[in-house]
Amino acid sequence: MQRIKTILRVVVLSVLALYFHYILPQHDVVKITSTEIIRTDFSPFNRIFYAQADSGAAEQPTRDLRLINTQKQNTFLLGFVPRDSSRVMVYRNEDTGWIYPPYFKFDSADLQAEAANLARGDEWAVVTHYGWRIRWASIYPNAVAVRTISGPDVTIIPWFNIFFFIFLMAAILFVRAAWRQFRERSVDPLLDAAGEHIDEVQAGVAERKGRLSRWLGTWRAKK
Amino acid sequence: MGFIKLVVFGFIGLTVIYWSIALFSRSVRKERLENAFDKDNPDGGAPGARDAFIAEGLKAYDSSIRPKLIGLVYVVPTVVVAAIAYTINTN
Repeated sequence: MQRIKTILRVVVLSVLALYFHYILPQHDVVKITSTEIIRTDFSPFNRIFYAQADSGAAEQPTRDLRLINTQKQNTFLLGFVPRDSSRVMVYRNEDTGWIYPPYFKFDSADLQAEAANLARGDEWAVVTHYGWRIRWASIYPNAVAVRTISGPDVTIIPWFNIFFFIFLMAAILFVRAAWRQFRERSVDPLLDAAGEHIDEVQAGVAERKGRLSRWLGTWRAKK
Repeated sequence: MGFIKLVVFGFIGLTVIYWSIALFSRSVRKERLENAFDKDNPDGGAPGARDAFIAEGLKAYDSSIRPKLIGLVYVVPTVVVAAIAYTINTN
């Protein structure tokens, strides 16, 4: 039982960790090489890894997809430890709209223009993005913002993620405290009352049974 | 359309959060009042005094600024959403 509980806990925590890794913003140091637009036909499988159509447009089964091609500096440990090598990375550039994921991005056309501008030169840039590049399923991370930097050796502090996790911890602690208070003040008294009631009923039944057997006893032959 | 969905469901979600925080906060205050009374009156006090003390304390709580601050549950997310939308969409 304990082992099953541990396994369940590990599975839930890994799913949550993967989800946060997918959804939270990350920063890549890149050189933008070009931008392009491809027509995309989504499959039911990879559809959930794309946003909806541009927020002012209608949803169609097929549409154009903005891509940003880059040469990206490699890193270790989620981007915290830089490396000397680089590789290509392709980002999609889609509006996220009002709902999900809550980046409230409506400026993908402007972002594409910025990227195209950077692609003309040889400047370093930081791409803020979320999502994964999964090649066999044709899935791209979504670029959210681009800003230029002077060189590849920048220290990027993930402020949003820091605040997000602080807030998450506070929310978890609050829910725990509220749940305990609710249990202590509302559920336990009810259970106690119900338990007492059951005890009374049982005592009543026992007493009646006692009375009945005593009455029956009067009919039995005296030993 | 997406904006209306965000407003409607956001309002519903925030209302749930508002009431959980409001009930929790009031319950904590009530428990503290009960404990304070029991500490000052180990013998149980005069009949009805405990209920009167708690009712008085909760009335003071209701008119204090604390329950009004819980209204920030509606304000803060709205401000955060506006701030994120603004910073993401300016260049």
